[in-house]
Amino acid sequence: MTRPGLDPVIHVPARLEIVATLAALPEGDALSFTRLQDLIELTPGNLITHLRKLEDVDYVTIEKSGSGPASRTSVALTHRGRAALDFYTETLRGLLDGLQSNGDRG
Amino acid sequence: MGGTLDTGTTASHGDEDGLDPRAAARLLTQTQLRARRELDFRSPGLSLLAAAAALIAFGSVWLSVRGQHPYKWPTPAGLAGLYVVIAIRIGSVLYAHHRAQAGVSGRSVRRHQAEGAALAVALIVVYLFMIALASAGASNGVVYGVYVATATLIVLGTFGAAHAAARENWQELGISIAVMIVATAAAFAGPRGVWLADGVGLCAVLIALSAFQAWRLVAAGPDA
Repeated sequence: MTRPGLDPVIHVPARLEIVATLAALPEGDALSFTRLQDLIELTPGNLITHLRKLEDVDYVTIEKSGSGPASRTSVALTHRGRAALDFYTETLRGLLDGLQSNGDRG
Repeated sequence: MGGTLDTGTTASHGDEDGLDPRAAARLLTQTQLRARRELDFRSPGLSLLAAAAALIAFGSVWLSVRGQHPYKWPTPAGLAGLYVVIAIRIGSVLYAHHRAQAGVSGRSVRRHQAEGAALAVALIVVYLFMIALASAGASNGVVYGVYVATATLIVLGTFGAAHAAARENWQELGISIAVMIVATAAAFAGPRGVWLADGVGLCAVLIALSAFQAWRLVAAGPDA
């Protein structure tokens, strides 16, 4: 039996935290870059690197508004990103069930 | 939790195979719980404070009217107790909401603002209708006792129930229905007893909510 693998874009600690945190917001909402950084405890450089990888596959959108000191960067999970997290969670659950039944047999 | 992860290393190396399934599941659960806790202003502590506020607010009005025969209306001291507690309660909720929603923008923020405005209008209408009842000759016991205490809670309960049903939040829906039941049952206690019955009933409902929220946090695990 072949099992679809875990999405390699999400299956990285920092990106899993980013996607799971953004998924806690209602659909259509965005979180500021600084609040996301506070919640996930990443450096700005590290966070932007991971966000760009997520943006490349259309899992998040990054919007900058204003200019100068008043500028604000907001990050939102896309519909595709939310679906990817749901699929990742299902796949993970399947893998854990498999590990559990292997453990019971052993 | 997040601070202990070597995210810098995983980001700069072959980061596609950094987690085994059990660690991934643990990280996912912890992150979801932390995000919900940080982004949601509701907490067992806030519910417990609301329970105390309800008892003090309605209790202060009851103390001011319990000796009135015939019933006139809540005394200024009783009303001051009620409104001071309500103001503190609104302030604490707004502060907690503001903290939890810092950095959040989008559709739900605009929806909350519209809902807040609608609720404010509904509560103003309750008080305007009280004036209409008084002008129509209704007794003080009905206007300044049974009606105002009951109608305010029924409006709050209906608003909460509609809000909860739209979001499929069954816990909030249950609490809102309980508030409406308490308000209706308390009305049978008459113009003096309604204040005490509302205070005790609301206090019990909010303590139950606080206990349920605390139980959910404990059930979610020590990292929640």
